[in-house]
Amino acid sequence: MESLVTANVRQRPVRALVSAAGVALGVCLVMLFTGLARGLSNDLERRSQNLKAEIVFTRDAGSTQLMSNAANLPVKYAEELLKIDGVAMAVPDIRYVSQGGKGFGFEQVEGVDWEQFAAMNGMSLVAGRGPQGLDEVVIDETKARNNKLSVGNELKLFGNQTYRVVGVYTPEAGPRVKMSLAAMQDALQAPNKCTWVYVKLKDPGRAVEMARKIDEALPGNKIQLTRDIITNIEKSIPYLGVFLRTLVGLSALVSGLVVMLAMYTTITERTREIGILKALGASRGFIVGEIVKEAVLISVIGVAAGFAVSFLAGYVIQRAYALPFEYSWLWGLTAALIGLLGGALGALYPAVRAANLDAVSALAYE
Amino acid sequence: MRTILQAENLTKVYRVGSVDVPALRGVSLDVEEGEYLAIMGPSGCGKSTMLHLLGGLLTPTTGSIHIDGEDLTAATDAKRTDIRRRKIGFVFQRFNLFPTLTAEGNLKLAESIHGGRDGKKGGDPERRREVLRLLQLEDKMHHKPLELSGGEQQRVALARAVVNRPALILADEPTGNLDTENSAIVLNMFQEMNYRFNQTIIMITHNPEAAAMCRRIIQMRDGQIVAPGPRVQI
Repeated sequence: MESLVTANVRQRPVRALVSAAGVALGVCLVMLFTGLARGLSNDLERRSQNLKAEIVFTRDAGSTQLMSNAANLPVKYAEELLKIDGVAMAVPDIRYVSQGGKGFGFEQVEGVDWEQFAAMNGMSLVAGRGPQGLDEVVIDETKARNNKLSVGNELKLFGNQTYRVVGVYTPEAGPRVKMSLAAMQDALQAPNKCTWVYVKLKDPGRAVEMARKIDEALPGNKIQLTRDIITNIEKSIPYLGVFLRTLVGLSALVSGLVVMLAMYTTITERTREIGILKALGASRGFIVGEIVKEAVLISVIGVAAGFAVSFLAGYVIQRAYALPFEYSWLWGLTAALIGLLGGALGALYPAVRAANLDAVSALAYE
Repeated sequence: MRTILQAENLTKVYRVGSVDVPALRGVSLDVEEGEYLAIMGPSGCGKSTMLHLLGGLLTPTTGSIHIDGEDLTAATDAKRTDIRRRKIGFVFQRFNLFPTLTAEGNLKLAESIHGGRDGKKGGDPERRREVLRLLQLEDKMHHKPLELSGGEQQRVALARAVVNRPALILADEPTGNLDTENSAIVLNMFQEMNYRFNQTIIMITHNPEAAAMCRRIIQMRDGQIVAPGPRVQI
């Protein structure tokens, strides 16, 4: 049998769809933002894990984890580091973060001596050669695939400066675009400077001890263990957690308000019907239950639509802007609960109001 | 004969702004099981107020009402709702069917409310079919109210009221929105319900022909019963 709940939803399809769209919006906000934050964070982490250096040596105030535009560390520190017993390799590096090529997100570029860097991290070229000239870059396979780039193509960096792709490397490690250290120094007008020095140890198991030793040998600088940086990537994005929690709260509010408004309008429209229910002997619980069930049905439709739109939008954005989306079950569950609870709680006030209507006045309502 | 309704010295005073407006001024009424009673009187004489009091939709200012042995006036709002659910069926002048539900859906909703928490899921199809057959609505079961004529809608409303076999049916001008032909059909149905199921019915009407079909007619004026007509055995 068609219940009062489904019959009411079918009777006002536009109102039901608008309400469901409100719930879907809340779900979309949660899924897309958390999916993007998680995708970017995991992508960064994956690429950072391929860095084999155990220690990152930098100026004390020069670096916030693996994202920095400062190139204020003299390159000569690399030579000093090599003199310390136990250091196998010291590779100076400049990392530059700029706005993404399509004006969305951000893009990192790295300036590093390719041969040394590739040797340190076990990387190899799958096409072309390493960067040599001031206008040459190598890119990783993901960048090549997402941006449909290959050796010989050009790409714009630092605003409008043209660079030529001379090689494609694997595996991905750090920024997807790399140029020579000299080219980066030239572009940033920072001769003989770098952002940090990657330090590869002869014995990776002695990282803590070696960090202390380096600190003693070259005091006044910042020495970080690469493994700590990797585990802290999500935490290193300032207030990401607060942002996500605020977003979740706002989404719940949006869902709740939309459903509340829709159900409030419904109650006003159906005042007479509520009077009839009361005349038939429907209890307050029955009336509240029917209205909340209707809201929950709308919310279920909204949640399903929200997930569908989120996945579709995530796919489209990923294709268009190469931004990674990674959804988690936990956030998915949170989004679903927000949609359902927001809808149910939003309907509660109009439902209780309906249940408390005076039966005779409701029956006389025009 | 068992007394289904016992109302004693009912008064109802509405407060309009700072003015007290008496709608009922001491009405007493006994209705026995199987009675078919008409309440007549001019507009504003308190008929509808009395019907709403008897149905537990309003509470009297003073006086008492017992429905099938249960005290309606001493009951809480929730208890009154419960008594209404179990013992009373309403038929309104404007039909008051749920426009989103089919004729059958309207009956099932009433059954579902009547069944309460422990109710049989889906109601009693046998009884539903019997009522629909008696009211000649079998072929209209799947029609929505707007697809039915006024007479058919009122028959569905009557079916909804009787489907749970309430102790008492309260009908408020059930033919007020119908033409002569449909009025006759609906009144015949009321009579049929009264005969067939020994259904107790109290009907408010302005229509003397409708009242003439009842076993007892009482007249009201200015919030009082002025002519408590004799019971007629038919």
